Amino acid sequence: MDRNLFHVTPRGWAGLGLAAFCFAVLPAVVGSYWLSILTSAACFTMAASGVAFMYARLGMVSLTQVGLMGIGGWVALRLNYAFAFPFEVNLVLAALATMICGWVLALPALRMRGLYLALVTLMAAGGLEIIFSTFQFPNGGSGFWGVKIGSADPFRGPALAPGPAAYLRYVVVMVTLGFLFIEGHRRLFPGRAWALIRRSEAAAMAAGVNVTLYKTWAFGIAGLLAGASGTLLAGSLGLLDDGTFRSPESIMIFALSVVGGAQYWLGAVVAAVLYRVLPGLLNQWGVNADLAFVIFGAGLLHAVITAPDGIAGQIWGGIGRLMSRRKGGAE
Amino acid sequence: MSKRALVNWLIYVVLMGGVLAWLGWGKPLAVQGLFITAGLAVGSLYALGGIGMVVLYRASGVLNFSSGAAGAAGAFSAWQVVQWGWPAPVSWSVCILVALVLTLIYGRFIAPHLAWRETVVKAVATLGFALIILGMVTFLWIDDPRSMDLPTDGVSVTILGLKVTGTRLLAFAASLLISLGIFIFLGRTQIGLQMRAVANDRDLSALLGVPILKVETIAWGISGVLAGFSGLMFANLIRLEPVVITFMVIPSIAAALAGRLDRLALVLVGGLSMGVIESMLTLSPLLKGVRPIAPFVIAALVLLYYQRGARLTFGGRD
Amino acid sequence: MKFKTSLMAVIALGVMAIAGQASAGPSCGMNTGQAATGKPIVIGGIYGNGAPGDWSSSTDSAAAYFACVNANGGINGRPIEYHVENDEWNPEAAARAAAKLVNDDKAVALVGNGSFIEMAVNAKTYADAGIMSMASACAISECFESSNIVSTNQGPLPSNLGAAQYAQEELGAKNVACIGLNIPDNGIWSCQAVIDFMTKRGGTGSMAMLNPGAPDVNSALLEAVSSGADTILMNLPAGLALAVLKAAQEQDLRDAYNWIAPTPLYDLSVPAAIGDYWNGKVYVNAELAPISVNGPDAQNWIAVLDAFGKPDDPRDTFGQAGYLSAEFFVKAALAMNPEDLDDRAKVTEAIKGIVGYRSDLMCGPYYVGDADFHMPNHAGYMVQIIDGGFKIVRDCYEFDSDYFNRHIELEKKLGLR
Repeated sequence: MDRNLFHVTPRGWAGLGLAAFCFAVLPAVVGSYWLSILTSAACFTMAASGVAFMYARLGMVSLTQVGLMGIGGWVALRLNYAFAFPFEVNLVLAALATMICGWVLALPALRMRGLYLALVTLMAAGGLEIIFSTFQFPNGGSGFWGVKIGSADPFRGPALAPGPAAYLRYVVVMVTLGFLFIEGHRRLFPGRAWALIRRSEAAAMAAGVNVTLYKTWAFGIAGLLAGASGTLLAGSLGLLDDGTFRSPESIMIFALSVVGGAQYWLGAVVAAVLYRVLPGLLNQWGVNADLAFVIFGAGLLHAVITAPDGIAGQIWGGIGRLMSRRKGGAE
Repeated sequence: MSKRALVNWLIYVVLMGGVLAWLGWGKPLAVQGLFITAGLAVGSLYALGGIGMVVLYRASGVLNFSSGAAGAAGAFSAWQVVQWGWPAPVSWSVCILVALVLTLIYGRFIAPHLAWRETVVKAVATLGFALIILGMVTFLWIDDPRSMDLPTDGVSVTILGLKVTGTRLLAFAASLLISLGIFIFLGRTQIGLQMRAVANDRDLSALLGVPILKVETIAWGISGVLAGFSGLMFANLIRLEPVVITFMVIPSIAAALAGRLDRLALVLVGGLSMGVIESMLTLSPLLKGVRPIAPFVIAALVLLYYQRGARLTFGGRD
Repeated sequence: MKFKTSLMAVIALGVMAIAGQASAGPSCGMNTGQAATGKPIVIGGIYGNGAPGDWSSSTDSAAAYFACVNANGGINGRPIEYHVENDEWNPEAAARAAAKLVNDDKAVALVGNGSFIEMAVNAKTYADAGIMSMASACAISECFESSNIVSTNQGPLPSNLGAAQYAQEELGAKNVACIGLNIPDNGIWSCQAVIDFMTKRGGTGSMAMLNPGAPDVNSALLEAVSSGADTILMNLPAGLALAVLKAAQEQDLRDAYNWIAPTPLYDLSVPAAIGDYWNGKVYVNAELAPISVNGPDAQNWIAVLDAFGKPDDPRDTFGQAGYLSAEFFVKAALAMNPEDLDDRAKVTEAIKGIVGYRSDLMCGPYYVGDADFHMPNHAGYMVQIIDGGFKIVRDCYEFDSDYFNRHIELEKKLGLR
């Protein structure tokens, strides 16, 4: 139907190249410390891609993304202890369950926009934080909440990926699939509907676009990605802790997506790198953990102020200028 | 008061009464009173935080996530000043001054760079500032059990057989008086008028010659003073711990949302109700574990109620 | 178990006296006075310093002791290279810290770990890698119910039991309300043990759980009060326990209840922070010897910190525990063939072989043994907060609970009883 569906743009090639690099080279050359950091960074890339996508395509701000990751992780842990499904089945079910939560969250979105919408999602994140800290994550206990007193039972990771290096490869593949999933949507009918809604809701309605459906759909996609990334995070650690899913973290992942550059795939990668790799580096350099916070906050402010298109926008802009200058020189 | 507002208040009174009756059913009156007083104090803090947020948001369009952190920095400075042996009143002024200066630094030097960005981006950027302050506070004051005493702790009055300390009364009275004061300030003074004009339409007010910078600076100042005061109250009534005080902003936002980021009286009532319901939830065996969720659920419900029947408006501002 | 009653003689010497003795110079390892120059032995340590609190005092003290050992001949001439990582109270950071120390740095053992979360995340990593973690500041069940973790401190469960037992025997407690954090492997785990203990002794108990995300402790206190208790056990970090006391002061509840707490309230800043109102009314269980006991190890610990630590390294219980873990490790390592110190399996074997090490800081003997659970320290002191300080009201006593049956069994097998 669509000839351009499988067309790969130069930036697309760059993305596939980066994915191939992360798959083939990175896990082989880095030590355990960086394997662990890169795996969480990859998980958060997927979550950030969901927030960035909603913001760039529809101008909708979700401050619940990390909370939704928690839901995905919770469902995956619960399924892991309740049934003998393989990891992949848990992954799919957790992603779908989180997608449904995304739809529920979309209900207020149909009546609100801008800051109000963002704050309603923040209230949801605050609520989820309390629920996670009250009921905790399943660790092999019985009952609905699946929490037992004492040490956790083992978690089954993917059979395809034994060991941390293989697991990083596995996550990289999943994140790439997540990006392709978003890109596929963008190129098919939903993408055109979203573009129209972003331009003008009135025009979209007049053109017969079901605004309600497509906004809800977008929330569902963000939820799906969050759920999958929460499951992948649970898979890398074998357990989850409520401290990971506090509401400020959800605000942070949105802020970093803006800083990274929401309209580019690279923006989500930059966001996750800032979120997980930068603190890892500061720690490696022996920077005091409290001062690392200060540096992180200052960097965040600086990037919001100086890079309106995000860091990814600056990178692509720089590459673009470099290319055109080269071309100019050759002619 | 319009008929619709009257109906809304009536619904509020019935709902609140119903919830309190349901939670307190079968418990002695003294026990209920205990929880309501405890809740009113926390609710006052939510309301104070929310009021500071709304005043600033209306005048400058910035929702300030860093006010909690500024309050924490103030409270810790005050604690330090007491450790150095300075008299208590000096420490209170230091608390408010530190929060005021930090807030003004952001308002004058950082916020203008972001003036043209979307409201949401302006709001989340303040989180960066909050992290800077929080990092500095935890760096300067290593983790150690501390507490903040106020002379009002020793004073108490007995209301209906229940002991209420001066600090709790102070927090409650302050939330009432400050809301009233700001209400009068906005309604009766020149600056207040200008503030309302800016809140209504910033560009138009600038065209009409409203000194935007001055108005905004005053708004940041009010928000800073309120941040310092609530930080001090929080350190005394709840805990002197930087992270706890910093992230008090999230339930404060819930209180601000109850007033649609606009109506101070509703923020006050909303904040107080959230505190009371949160405290009363302790009496429910089923819900006592999740009681801190109350502000978020109430704020979400209130927002949905406001938006009932509303459809998406095309274009326009947020 | 034999308790060292002779130490009771030295009470309330105060910090001045301790500082005075510090000048005598610390005693560490082989005590040669010569710096070790051989091939370093890599040891890891993980602490948690992040949003809710700073738990680095155990690794600080361990680091100071290792530095002292290195300056005194090391382990038969080989210095210890101590790698310390921060888990930031974050499970991901905890996992990566362990991955770095165990896989990248190839540590042969972990010593002095202090964290609220690291042990839960990494217990399996340690078991799989066959590495022992001689932890020092542990608060969760995983520390005490894993094959490859042994902690010098007790954690909340025994310390709670000790406080409840004292209250039941000395203060006439019949109904204890335990205010704890709503975390399954911390608050619920340790409060449940108190309820079981009280029921066994013919009394009752209840728990009032505090959500870690909740700002206000008042509701939990009121819940405890309305349970009909006569004794309130504050099973909380010091900051939260102070908030509970403050809320209780407001309602003037002091004289209506007994106020007891586990070790976290044994902190030198606490007496000043709680104020005059509580003078003599709060009883705290101390899992290591209180500072005033001031035995040879306690003095040596201060001397080591003065000579090799940073000035602001905390002088608290967790610091003592970190020092002890390091001392016990060095003692075990000195008994090994120096060639074997690079072999993780042999080091693990040596640590598991530790039996009957003693210190004036601990009531009982320290041992490890080959088991799926480890809790060598399950006896303690009871102190009272009075006149701006702590007064010992009960010397070393063992806590009476069925929970310790298997530990006692193991101790009998190892010939410690």
